[in-house]
Amino acid sequence: MNNSSNRIRTSIFALQAIMVLICLVVLGRIFYLQIIQYEVYDELGDKNSIRQEYVDAARGLIYDRNGTLLVDNQPIYSVTITPLNFDTENIPLLADLLGESDSLVTELVNDAKRYSRFRTSKLITDVDFKVFSLIQENLWQLPGIGHQIDSKRNYPAPITASHIFGYLREADENDYKQTQSIRLGDKIGKSGLELYYQDNLKGDLGINYLKVNALGQSLGKYTEQKIAKPPVQGDNLITTIDADLQAFAEKLMKGKSGGIVAMNPHTGEILALVSSPEYEVKKLAGRIDKEYWQFINSDSTRPLFNRAISSRQPPGSTFKPLMGIIGLHLGIVTPETEIYNSGYYIRGRPYKDLADPGLYDMESAIAHSSNTYFLSVMDKIATSGKLNTWSKLAKDFGLGVPNDIDLPSANRGILPDSTYLDNRFGKNKWGLGDVLNFGIGQGLVSASPLQIAQMTSSIVNGGYKIEPHLLRAVVRADGSIEQNNSTKEKIDWVKDEYLNTVKKGMRRNVLEGSGKFYAAVPEIEVSGKTGTAQNPFGFSHGWYTSFAPSQSPEIVVTVFLENAGWASISAVPIASLILEKYLKGEVERQWLVNYVLNFVPKEDNSEASVSNE
Amino acid sequence: MNNLRNLNWSIFGAWIVLAIIGLVAIYSATQGPVSEFLPDYIQNNFAKQLLWVALAIVFVLCFQFFTPRSYMQLSYLFYAIGIVLMICTFLFGTEINGAKSWLRIGFFNLQSSEIMKIATILATAQYLTSRRDITAENIRYALTAVAMILVPTIFVILQNDFGTAIVFLALIPVMLFWSGLPYGVSIYIVSPAFILYLTVFDWKLGAIATILISFLIFMVQKRVWLTVTSLITGIITVVGVNVALTDILQPHQIARITAFTNPAFDPTGAGWNVIQAKTAIGSGGLLGKGFMEGTQTQLKFLPEQWTDFISCVIGEEFGFMGLGLLVVTFLFLFLRLLKQAGNHKHPFAQLVTVSVTAVFFIHFVVNIGSATALLPVIGIPLPFVSYGGSAFLTNSLMLAICLNMDLYKRDFSIYR
Repeated sequence: MNNSSNRIRTSIFALQAIMVLICLVVLGRIFYLQIIQYEVYDELGDKNSIRQEYVDAARGLIYDRNGTLLVDNQPIYSVTITPLNFDTENIPLLADLLGESDSLVTELVNDAKRYSRFRTSKLITDVDFKVFSLIQENLWQLPGIGHQIDSKRNYPAPITASHIFGYLREADENDYKQTQSIRLGDKIGKSGLELYYQDNLKGDLGINYLKVNALGQSLGKYTEQKIAKPPVQGDNLITTIDADLQAFAEKLMKGKSGGIVAMNPHTGEILALVSSPEYEVKKLAGRIDKEYWQFINSDSTRPLFNRAISSRQPPGSTFKPLMGIIGLHLGIVTPETEIYNSGYYIRGRPYKDLADPGLYDMESAIAHSSNTYFLSVMDKIATSGKLNTWSKLAKDFGLGVPNDIDLPSANRGILPDSTYLDNRFGKNKWGLGDVLNFGIGQGLVSASPLQIAQMTSSIVNGGYKIEPHLLRAVVRADGSIEQNNSTKEKIDWVKDEYLNTVKKGMRRNVLEGSGKFYAAVPEIEVSGKTGTAQNPFGFSHGWYTSFAPSQSPEIVVTVFLENAGWASISAVPIASLILEKYLKGEVERQWLVNYVLNFVPKEDNSEASVSNE
Repeated sequence: MNNLRNLNWSIFGAWIVLAIIGLVAIYSATQGPVSEFLPDYIQNNFAKQLLWVALAIVFVLCFQFFTPRSYMQLSYLFYAIGIVLMICTFLFGTEINGAKSWLRIGFFNLQSSEIMKIATILATAQYLTSRRDITAENIRYALTAVAMILVPTIFVILQNDFGTAIVFLALIPVMLFWSGLPYGVSIYIVSPAFILYLTVFDWKLGAIATILISFLIFMVQKRVWLTVTSLITGIITVVGVNVALTDILQPHQIARITAFTNPAFDPTGAGWNVIQAKTAIGSGGLLGKGFMEGTQTQLKFLPEQWTDFISCVIGEEFGFMGLGLLVVTFLFLFLRLLKQAGNHKHPFAQLVTVSVTAVFFIHFVVNIGSATALLPVIGIPLPFVSYGGSAFLTNSLMLAICLNMDLYKRDFSIYR
């Protein structure tokens, strides 16, 4: 018995000791987790339950030069999905509510699954508000489905201007890799001002902290708001566009193919810029109409191509005023030099001259577009080995060099020099015959309507090189305004006397030359120069560049029409009407508007290899 | 009847404290902001538990009108009824959370394995104490006792309830040890579990433990054959676990076993519970986040937070102070019960009290060990704290029996 009670005492002690020991281990473990490793687990706990969420910033608005709103944002309603919580048996119900087919919805659900099973993504965007309300009412039947309101671009002004604004699309992986500030699925500018000023327009994403539960459901805002950051609205852009003029120019270009640039010659501010045929940028906002997108991408008329700044065509006779200036500067001719036109300029082969035979000085050569005069000037330049000088001088007027306009995809055109010709034809494999017609803006010389407008501006503004641009000012979210100051640089070798001679010629072109039918505007002195670009595939392309008033120009208008034939009856009346609209505010010549709207191209001269407009 | 004033009120008090801690934690875990993610039947858990606690208090006090003789004599009958219930559960049981442990009786879901715990303790104790001293010569008695425990264990395993099976298995060394199994042999039969545990961390730890345990057995028992057997068993355990972990088991099986040592290996699968439980406890800090303020609890990051992971709720919302109080209260209860066992003259009372303490202790260690990643996650409730009517009532009944035997300890001599 004594032995037994000893054993009991020992056993009790042993069991108590084991329990105390193990409880101490447990207490030690708890102490380790809660006191020593507190910071580690506290952070883990926060990470678990607080989710960072970005808040989209409103994209900046776009205004015209007079404060007319051109582009703003409109709410659109999207249906979202979290695939993990979504039961695919609900697809028929969802499709029914959306008014879409089961197969389309299945496809969309699978797309979302491929993106992530756990993350919420947009199932379908830009649904009708009625459909959206219907989905909202039935959310309880559709676990995993949510809704979201975001925005799309809206174009309240009665202009299209798609080539100016450009369109937005969801950022793809490449965009995402380039900068940290955009997320997969964000809408970013892909063309036009939307692309060029993407960084200004996009604004800064805000950051919100949300409490979430283990299922990832949001439980509202996290209370400690100090770390949250509100979104900053994108900068508003005030453009140089005159909405009325733009609308009018667009109306005149309906059904035609080509480009118009209207510009302030002193500042380079673009007042109107039209490329036709246009695409409807409205149709690319919100949910993309896939058929339309395919159409504008594949149609033979290339609606996405910006003819006003990206086309590259021989400028034809619109190049002659610049030839005159270079001729005067190089001392090859004086304003008084007269050259006889016999109907042909013969150099290796005959070059036809449609101007009436007779003596031409520079003014009349420009007025009547005598080819002989400028072929002869080019002949002397080339034979005296000054081709490269010629090229360099012409580039000062913005031809053949990259353009600084604030739109993507401006074409630099071609202004050949010996290096270019060597590359093109091979060293010593080209000769005078390849160079001579540069003098009349033919052959390899090529430019966009924007460049011709820029060249014309430098002629009429006293010999200053200007930078064409569409941005007048940036208005930041805080209200501060940053003006886009126009820069202007004197082309040092250009003298006023050269310009005056050439401008007189351009005035006379309107009065007595090819512009005499339609170029004139009542009560306003107008100057200009037509041109034709040969088109091996059909009717010639017509050019016209003009400015008014002749004595103190306020506006330069350059019109380029594809396959329109005779510029004097196609491009000229369009420019004339735009000048009238801008300078007088209203267009009185309704008959001319009707004429332009109903214009059918006619070929000027089917046999001509050289034009003399 | 003896005066209720002689009841061991300190044990009764510890029991009440644990029940209150449990009610507070269950309230937070089911009625707090988290309730919006919980189905109605779980939101009702607090009210149901409150009812069970109230019933249990009345029951425990009324139980003191019985004398120990009644349940001593009926213990074999209880055991037989328990086995029948287990068979019924096996045949007609309801499955909850993967374990087929519940028998639906009217509106009440009875967890038959809880009843079986008491029946097994009483019957085995009755059997062992009617035959004295188990020695090598009387190994037949020992084996019969082992069989009495193993039969319900097998049923529990068939029910897919491994946590409860561990509790039953743990009764074997405890009851045999108390009935006179030599110390050395007792150490020997628990040693494989200990060596296995350490080997999961590192086989070298297992090897060191094998040597130390064999040495300890030699010092206690001075028997060479037992020491050698222990050494061989230890080596087999270490090698076996190692081979299983490296060659036999598939990676996902290993991940489940080792999730508690390395939860980051599979953070959204086997490691999820471990990470969330540790995060809940760890982020509680010294004082906790406050009642119904724990983000892990209220945002439903914790699985089964009203039962198996209730200690995480306490740890998160009341911090080290709260969880420490819980551990200390349990330790107090264990030491008090053991002290009571030591005061008994009658071996039946001793053995039942020690066994009941062991059952509570195993529940406590496995539950808290799971939540703090000291042990693999084994689903087992925390006695008196976790939600669960059957468990609360049967645990209270076990406590009531211990209190009852203490109250009548002077009358025991007449039963001899």
